[in-house]
Parts: sequence; C-alpha cells; structure tokens
Amino acid sequence: MSDQSAPILEINALSAGYGRFDVVRDIGLTVGKGEAVALLGPNGAGKTTVLRAIMGLVKQRRGLIRIGSTDVSNLPTHRIARGLAAIAPEGRRLFLDQSVEDNLLLGALHLRHDRARVERLRNSVYELFPVLESYRHRLSSFLSGGEQQMVAIGRMLMSDPEIMLLDEPSVALSPVAVDIVVKAMLELRKRGASLLLVEQRVDVATRVCDRLYVMAHGEIVEEMTPDIVRSGGMSILNKYLG
Amino acid sequence: MLQFLLSGVAIGSIYGLIGMALAISFYVTRIINFAQGQLMMVTVMITAELASSGHPVWLAAAAGLASSCIIGILSYLIAVRPILLSNRFSFGWLVSTLGFAVIVENAAAYIWGPTSQAFPPILNSISVPIGSAVLTAQQILAIVTAAVLAAGFEIVRRYTLFGKLGMATAADPEMASAIGANTTVVAIVAFAVSAAFAGIAGLLIGPTTFANPYLGDTFGTYGFIAMMIGGGTERPIAAMFGGILLGVCAEGANGLINSQASDWFPFIVLVVILIVSPKGLFSASNPLFRPRRPASASR
Repeated sequence: MSDQSAPILEINALSAGYGRFDVVRDIGLTVGKGEAVALLGPNGAGKTTVLRAIMGLVKQRRGLIRIGSTDVSNLPTHRIARGLAAIAPEGRRLFLDQSVEDNLLLGALHLRHDRARVERLRNSVYELFPVLESYRHRLSSFLSGGEQQMVAIGRMLMSDPEIMLLDEPSVALSPVAVDIVVKAMLELRKRGASLLLVEQRVDVATRVCDRLYVMAHGEIVEEMTPDIVRSGGMSILNKYLG
Repeated sequence: MLQFLLSGVAIGSIYGLIGMALAISFYVTRIINFAQGQLMMVTVMITAELASSGHPVWLAAAAGLASSCIIGILSYLIAVRPILLSNRFSFGWLVSTLGFAVIVENAAAYIWGPTSQAFPPILNSISVPIGSAVLTAQQILAIVTAAVLAAGFEIVRRYTLFGKLGMATAADPEMASAIGANTTVVAIVAFAVSAAFAGIAGLLIGPTTFANPYLGDTFGTYGFIAMMIGGGTERPIAAMFGGILLGVCAEGANGLINSQASDWFPFIVLVVILIVSPKGLFSASNPLFRPRRPASASR
C-alpha cells in the first residue's frame, strides 16, 4: 500500500521547540501516499510537537519538512493549511460558539470560491459521520466528546489536504466513540488519504496504520510494523510506553 | 423627561459607536486600542479642514474616514503587532497604543492648533419636534446610523464567511491559522472597520462639538465606559447598548442633578454596574441568564 519512492510527507533532521531548548531533536520520518503512519510514545515524548512543526505552529524549527514536492519548513501556518496539511488537533479545538456546519465550512476556507467542491467535501464528511448531518445547525459546544472529535476530523477533511494529521483522536472517548473514530480512519484510508496519527493507544495505532514510529524523550527510538508488534514487539513498546 | 431620554439616546449612539469600535478590535485581537478616540478625532479634523477649504462635505467626510482607517491600520502595524509577535500574552500594548494616541493627538494639535475649528453643520440646523421633545435632524441621523451599523455588523458577523472567520479568530487565533486564515489580515480588517466606526461617530458629533484635537480624550473615555458597562468585550454589539444606557444616564444627570453632573455621574454608573455585573450588562443575549461556558471551552 505504501509507495516509498515518492513520500507525501518527508521529514529530515527536524529539531523544533519553544523558547531556548528543543522539544524534539533530529526527527526523520516519511509517510507514503495513501499510507497511514503512527507516532507512539509516552506523554512528553514530543509527538504533538512534531505535528505542530509540520503545521508551522512551532516558532523554532530546523531541518527539512516536505509535503509532496513543497518544502514547507519556512512557510507560515496559513499557507501550509491551504491544501497541504490539515490537523485534527489535541483537545479538538472546535470553534465552540459556532455550529457544526460552520466549523466544517471554515475548514474549507481556502476552497471558498469553489462551491461545488466544498459541497462535495461536506457531503463526504456527512457520509463518514451521518450523525453530524442531523446536528448540522447545532452549536458545536453542545455535542458529546465523540461527536466533537467527528467535527474535528471533518473540519480537517474539508480542506482536502495532501496529508492529514490526527493528534490523539481516541483520547477521553467512550469505547463506542473510539470504535467510530477508528472506522472513520479506516474509511479515509480506503478513500486514499495519507495519515500521520499520534496515539498513546497501541491497539488503535495497529488497527489503522501500516508502520509505527516510537518516540521517547524527543527522539524517534524505534520503527516497526503492526505485525512485529503482534508477534512480540509489544515488550519493546512497553519498555518505552511504561 | 422625553427630551432627556431622546437626546440621551442620540448622544449614547455616538458613545456606542466608539464603544463598538473599541470592542471590534478587542474582539479579534484581545487588545484595547487606546488610540480609538484619536481615530475619531482624525476624521473630524480632516473633514473640517477639507470642508473649510471649499470641498463638498461628502468628499471631506469620505477623506476623513479614509484617513482614520489608514491611521487605524498604522496603529495596529506600529503599536500592536510587533508586541504581540514578540509575546502574545504581553501587556505592552497598554503603553504602546496610549503612546500612539498621544502622538496622533499632539500632531493634530501642532497642525491645527489647540482651539476648536468650524465643522460643517450637516443636518444640525434642522429641528424635528417629537411629541413634547425636540431633536435636531443630526441627532436623529446619529440614532439611525448607529442602529444600522450595529445591526449590519451583527449580520456580517453571524451570516457571512468573513464574519465567521472573525469569530473563529477571536476564539482561537492559532486554530484559525491552522485552517488557512491569515490572522494578520483579519486583524488589519478589524482595525480598519473599527476606525471607520469611530470616524462615523466623529462625523455624527462633529457639528455639535466642532473640530478640536483633544476631542479624542473625552469620547475615547466615554466609548470605553460604554464598552465596559455593556459588555462589549464579550459581544461587540453590547457596547452599543452600553453606550445608549450611558448617554441616557449622562443626559438625565445633566437635567435632573445639575448641568455639570455628566462629568462624574457616568463613572458612578460604571462602578455600580461593574460591581453588579463584572462582564457588563448585555454580555449574554439575555442579561438575566448567563450560561456558563462549557467545560471543554477552557484550555
């Protein structure tokens, strides 16, 4: 499934952080077109910082970040967000005083002049999460955690990005909601999307992804496949995940 | 009684417009532009200057508004943006916008001198009797303009993509940039719109106050009070309601206590209202019922 010859996301020797010290150091990773890759690791390992660096949300970053053929390491966030990368961030960060539909339409901000495309994207989100269509005019603050996560994923889809970044979409959700989110990610893969998933739950990562990177203390320490995890790699993971 | 009420609403509409101007730039950038009153003064001075040198009033007014917008944008680029770039949570803008206000005010006093100049009367000479009261057509124009602008702002904020983007930027600027919004452009537009609101307030009050470079002090302060008692920090349109309340209180105090009472009475109103309702009276759509923010809104 992965096409290693032309990665959609390529990160090389990335160091990034806030203020005077780097949170992550010398990160190298790739995500192929149509591939799903997980970043696993304990709290504070720097997983979120990697995603934020890809979006240009981290002030200091050094090294190479390439999406498709575009070097984004010096692009401002709003340029990266216009069709290159999109994020369903930690804590979802919906625009809570606005409706579900408005949150989705804001996701397609850079496509606003192409109404037909926005319409298609919106319908594809409602196809993925039918429950959102019945709540479309509801304020997003009135939704449950699982439904809010669906809106966050939907908003990410709406910009039709080359690579989708998901930051712990399973966190603080009921088992039923986790299952819906996992199935949605699998459906996205069927549609050909490329995903970079930050997770703490190994079971979610192995169900969705082709490859897993393990991070600890700001560095990538292991790379493995779900098969290796199932045939005993779990003990290696446990060493890092604690 | 009706006279106090009506002229209070008229002057309150002006306070409300300046309050909304403050609230609009606060809404998007979370900073208070203390040069707002001076932006109003710029429109008044430029309009007076051009009108007295023989240009038609509408052209003078348009040029005045345009100058306010330009200086409003400059106030963002010079006094606000550099500070927010170095530290988004810094309070340096308190001093820098105040400094910008002092510079603009003194420049105006240097150019036009500290005394008042003539301002075109626009509609000030026409009187309209309403029941037992009399308003000038200019006062009625102020009320109507304020109502139209407040309603127009609310419609744009709620129903257009740009308004929704403004709301998104207000709620979470970082996430707004992560959906592709250029938050600098959004802030510049907010400052230009807010300068236009202040400038329009200046055109409405100019015929009464004449053109004085220190006009911004008084009206900036009253606009600030209007925003605070209304709750404009939460919803810009609430500043308009606060302004009207303030105007009625000030006119009422002038008429019922003594002719100087409008100098101190509004401050008492401000203190009492902020004790009763720290976020302002109209910060929620229903002043008696304020829903708590959902837990997930806190980060």
